[in-house]
Amino acid sequence: MREIVFWAMAIAAVVTAWRVFRADSMVRAAYWLMASFVAVGVILVLLGAEFLGLVLLLMMAGEMTIMAVFMVMFMMNPAGLNPMTMVHQHRTSIVAGVVAFAGLAGVGILGRFPDARVSEPDRATAQLGGELLGDSMLVFETAGVALLATMIGALAIASSKGRYGGADEGSAPPELGRAGEPPTTKAGERDTGEQRAGQHEAEDEHAGHGGTMSGMEM
Amino acid sequence: MGSVTGSPGSSIAPIAAAVTVLLLLGIGIYAVAVLDRLVGRAVAREPLRLRAVLIAPVREAALLLMQQRISTERPDAQLWAFAPALLGALAAAGLAVVPASGGSGMTGSIPGMSAGIVYFGAAMAIVMVAVFLQGWAANSVLPLIGGYRFVAQALSYEMPLALVLIAAALPAQSLSVVEIVRSQHAVWNVVRQPLGLPLYLIAASGLAFWGPLNFPDGADLVGGTAAELSGAPLLFWKAARTAVLVAAAAMGAAAFLDGWWGPFIPGPLWMALKTLALLVIIILAGHLLDRVRLERFVVVSWVVLIPVALVDVFLSGLVALWTGGQGGGP
Amino acid sequence: MSTQVLLVLAAPLFGIGVYGALSQQSFVMIMMGLELMLNGAILAAATFWSLSAGGTPKGQLLAVVVMAVMAVEAAMGFALVVNVYRIRKADITEKLKALRG
Repeated sequence: MREIVFWAMAIAAVVTAWRVFRADSMVRAAYWLMASFVAVGVILVLLGAEFLGLVLLLMMAGEMTIMAVFMVMFMMNPAGLNPMTMVHQHRTSIVAGVVAFAGLAGVGILGRFPDARVSEPDRATAQLGGELLGDSMLVFETAGVALLATMIGALAIASSKGRYGGADEGSAPPELGRAGEPPTTKAGERDTGEQRAGQHEAEDEHAGHGGTMSGMEM
Repeated sequence: MGSVTGSPGSSIAPIAAAVTVLLLLGIGIYAVAVLDRLVGRAVAREPLRLRAVLIAPVREAALLLMQQRISTERPDAQLWAFAPALLGALAAAGLAVVPASGGSGMTGSIPGMSAGIVYFGAAMAIVMVAVFLQGWAANSVLPLIGGYRFVAQALSYEMPLALVLIAAALPAQSLSVVEIVRSQHAVWNVVRQPLGLPLYLIAASGLAFWGPLNFPDGADLVGGTAAELSGAPLLFWKAARTAVLVAAAAMGAAAFLDGWWGPFIPGPLWMALKTLALLVIIILAGHLLDRVRLERFVVVSWVVLIPVALVDVFLSGLVALWTGGQGGGP
Repeated sequence: MSTQVLLVLAAPLFGIGVYGALSQQSFVMIMMGLELMLNGAILAAATFWSLSAGGTPKGQLLAVVVMAVMAVEAAMGFALVVNVYRIRKADITEKLKALRG
């Protein structure tokens, strides 16, 4: 029974990974990737790394939804209603992919790996916890600080307020007037500036919101 | 999904388990529909009319099944059919780890899944995917807005939900829901973790987008993600969403109200009573409170609820260390 | 479910990820290729932990670190994508030509 589930999930993982880049609808591409992660998560649970598999599922649900939201934001064609292919250096990348696959699969088949199965699968989670808070506490703390730095950095980069005003206005200091005089109004308060800021406001909020959401992951 | 060693001869048990879980979900959905009407009538101070209320969900279901099914122009048909099915499957998956009695899972065929709480958390995280797909697939504006609102809401309640369940797991020194229930036999979690149950109820009503947190299907979006649904798909969507509420309430009863434990009547009946109690609280909140604004809920969730949940985890850890912890095993 | 089978399963995930990261024009699709590569890496790490390393807890730690890397890369990647769009109005790689030639 476990073998059947394993083979089904194995085939599903590879097929859905392939379909990610063949899908016309971008939201479907994001969720094909999610399906690939679900398959890998189930395989992880079958391997005995129960906690890891479930946490992978938990993480990827949020992450793939954010990817779908970003797809809709950035792609010309998020629903795939007008199919078009946007690839560059196609043959090179196919060759690179095949070389990567051949190399890794070659190592997998020809390499000799020790055969030491996990001895106490029921204690895997407890052992992970003990390891994280015991011997590898430094790794744990560093990962925590790295995630904090990521959150702050992502918010700082994606936030919609620049130093001098709105993000598309204020990332550079205000320019000089025509005769070299300093500007009479602050950047972002000019009439045209305001109009443009208002026009971009929806997109900035959207993008800022998306940046906030992605920065608050995990 | 058991341990690496698996368990031979358990091929018939999963089918029985699935059927039992679906039956329980069906009963739960009917119970929520009846309770919703009863509580609504009580709050509005109308006569209760028990017989009419008991028949009403069946009538509504029959009406929806007979209704004509209207579709939109160029929807994503496969995703549109997939989303309610996914939501229902997640509710069933979430309910399956909740123990009904002193055995292991709901029917004993998920033998001692050692990370039941995380499994529940993962199932409830994928609910975000299901509701977003439901909003996306209709190729229509209002469902899309509803789907986006649910993404914002889901990211906001997910952290308090996970943290509060972790706090409930701390005294048990185990992630298994069975162990969590066993660790409460002396003192219920609702007593020794007073912040836990209110936070969990808020997160649960956000999870099933019920009442004050009904952003994706709200009336200001004319039904939101359900706006373009009619007929049988609308019935399945409402049923799936109610099923998620039932699963969340059942897990709340297990994690905070000590599941099947109780003096005179058998375990599963206590479990049902405690689940119904939590359901009544959530439904009452749904009838008494207005739907809040999404921006305000997001801000409150990130700024207030997550720190409160962290305080809850900290206090729960302190109490667990102080009393030396109960239960045992991984 | 031996080591060979699982590694031969993780290899095409990685290979498809490489293909995606190199061939796609849109930033978000490139990130999906990167996520697939990390997916293959997590699977390989968990394989070694479960079947070749006797369940030493540091194997799970490696998988956890790779998951943390996924989260960091996704978050910073999206933040940069948003900012690049804001400044250069570029949503595909072809539009970032300021340093070319």
